[in-house]
Amino acid sequence: MIDDELITVLREQRGKVVMTTPVEQIINRGHAVRNRHRVHGVVAAAGAAAAAVVVTVSVALPASRPAGSHPAASHLPAGHPANLPSARLTAWTVTRLAGGSIRVTFREAADAAGLQRTLRADGVPVSVTFTGQQNPACQPYSAGTSQAFWPFGPSTGPLGGARFIANPKDAYTTPYALVIDPSALPSGAGLQISTSGTPGPSDSFQLDVSLVQASAQCTGG
Amino acid sequence: MDMGSPSLDFAEFYRGAKDDCLFAVLVSVGDQDTAQDLVAEAFARAWASWSSVSRHPAPAAWVVRTALNAGVSRWRRRRREVPVPDLALVADWPAAGETADGSVDPRIMAALLRLPARQRQVVALRLFLDLDTECTARVLGIAPGTVQAHLGRAIAALRGDLVPTRQEESQS
Repeated sequence: MIDDELITVLREQRGKVVMTTPVEQIINRGHAVRNRHRVHGVVAAAGAAAAAVVVTVSVALPASRPAGSHPAASHLPAGHPANLPSARLTAWTVTRLAGGSIRVTFREAADAAGLQRTLRADGVPVSVTFTGQQNPACQPYSAGTSQAFWPFGPSTGPLGGARFIANPKDAYTTPYALVIDPSALPSGAGLQISTSGTPGPSDSFQLDVSLVQASAQCTGG
Repeated sequence: MDMGSPSLDFAEFYRGAKDDCLFAVLVSVGDQDTAQDLVAEAFARAWASWSSVSRHPAPAAWVVRTALNAGVSRWRRRRREVPVPDLALVADWPAAGETADGSVDPRIMAALLRLPARQRQVVALRLFLDLDTECTARVLGIAPGTVQAHLGRAIAALRGDLVPTRQEESQS
């Protein structure tokens, strides 16, 4: 038997197993999943206030920041978010890496507006939503490049300037991290970051990143 | 996307992809009931996030990947309670007469289950979902060359496992 025959025999098997669950049952379950996401969103919003307190503490105690983690800081005006080695939140951490890339480490899908503001201040045209819905003002960059990825594997390839990095020990454990190189984004493109579910012990978390057309309404001015 | 009637497109997608997704997950987890539960949960999550999943270049791959991740999480929650057999050591799957519809060749399934987990995932995505190498690599988070290497090793192992049996059958 040559390989083509073997592959044909293997493929013949797939039609012999039938998924018997009715679509109505799937959709009913989908309603429950969606409601669970909404509950997570409410809880996350409530936690954002606590996160803001942590930011204040971090800014007030610069000595606690890791030295050298933000090499571009000296070239930026005082008060610019990039002057902070890392903006530490309970939900996520944004750190500028050598070479201008920016790493976002997720612990919780909370304070999307704060993350969006921080990333934009660091030069990333981006729209961030954690509600399970995407910004309706965002349009795919092009039919061929609008893609979404999730931090499922040990690593994924570049996506027009964005690439995921994985936990080196276990790709399935948090925190998830996303590295963005703004200079590598295609001209006129921005990023859309959205999530489904909540990172952490829950297995429902999914991080979606796609290329979108940069615009004031979607990715900011 | 019109969120007012997402179930129409979703229902069409479900009808067209459900069996292939089930088989792809079955190859990875080895148990039909478990596979059906995981795929149903993954499709439910796909429905809940249909506005973004429908834009994924390979929504069926999204479902399979989500199902496999749910399986990993479920296994981690339960492993302290129930010993889990190493699928790579499965000798026969399942015994004759134990399949839900009695039509899957148990020797082929047993041979698939003897493959290492990553090879099974590559086979599931490349051969049973018909994804190309690039898309398979993205879904699994590995390099395209690694996908090809895993597929080559898997085919070689399956050839060694299945071809002698089938040749003997044809000679008898």
